[in-house]
Amino acid sequence: MSAVATRPTTSHDRLRSNRLGLWLFFVTEVFMFGGLLVMRFRLWGNTRPDLDQTLGFIVTAILLASSFFMNRAEMAIAHDDRRNFIVSLTITGVLGVLFLVGVVGFEWRGHVRPGDGAYGAILYGMTGLHALHVLSGLVIIAMVGINGRQGRYSAHDHWPVEACALYWHLVDVVWVFLYPALYLVGVVVRH
Amino acid sequence: MSNEPAVAVQASKTAAFRRGVLTFLALAVLTIVELAVGTATGGSFALLYVIGLIKAALIVQSFMHVSSLWRGGSHG
Repeated sequence: MSAVATRPTTSHDRLRSNRLGLWLFFVTEVFMFGGLLVMRFRLWGNTRPDLDQTLGFIVTAILLASSFFMNRAEMAIAHDDRRNFIVSLTITGVLGVLFLVGVVGFEWRGHVRPGDGAYGAILYGMTGLHALHVLSGLVIIAMVGINGRQGRYSAHDHWPVEACALYWHLVDVVWVFLYPALYLVGVVVRH
Repeated sequence: MSNEPAVAVQASKTAAFRRGVLTFLALAVLTIVELAVGTATGGSFALLYVIGLIKAALIVQSFMHVSSLWRGGSHG
């Protein structure tokens, strides 16, 4: 039997471990979306399909606004302001749904189809994988919202809220790189 | 004397809110610049990704509080 010196795990240690674990998961996400971006520049080069610029700008603005409200929700619960927490989290969820409607409901009904060679494959691959992340973020927001309504979080114990906020901001950061790659970089190719 | 902690909490909350608003405004301005650069320069990769990196850095530092990884403490 070996004697291993251990010290009691404090909530502070647990929080640091949780954060580190989540950020390591984010690194794997960066590799995945980074690979997609490399694929986009390899296959599209300095060209891009003729996408709706107004729609691209609107969905980008919606996602940025949702990040602002998610930050507001996190700050609210960190200060024990439950009402603001629930209101801000709900607005974040609504904006997330609007983003999904914009991309899946409108952009996917545009003239570029999934079978349109490299343009269709990259467009639907990138927006589809990102939309899947937004959808999973919305599920997490709903779960955190339900728990929040039941008063399970406080200023001193709200790691699930922090994790949910971090994940949502990651989804926003990914879109920050996807938006120029799909809508802005290169010259328009009409087909 | 007794309401000093409440005043401190309120001040911290106001500061956090102001930080969030400023970050959002900076992101909004950069996105408009991004759209202008994309349409005016014919989609310059270098310019657009410099703006993208600044936007990502703002979100990672101000909204995701990346420094709490090595500094610890609350996000609030």
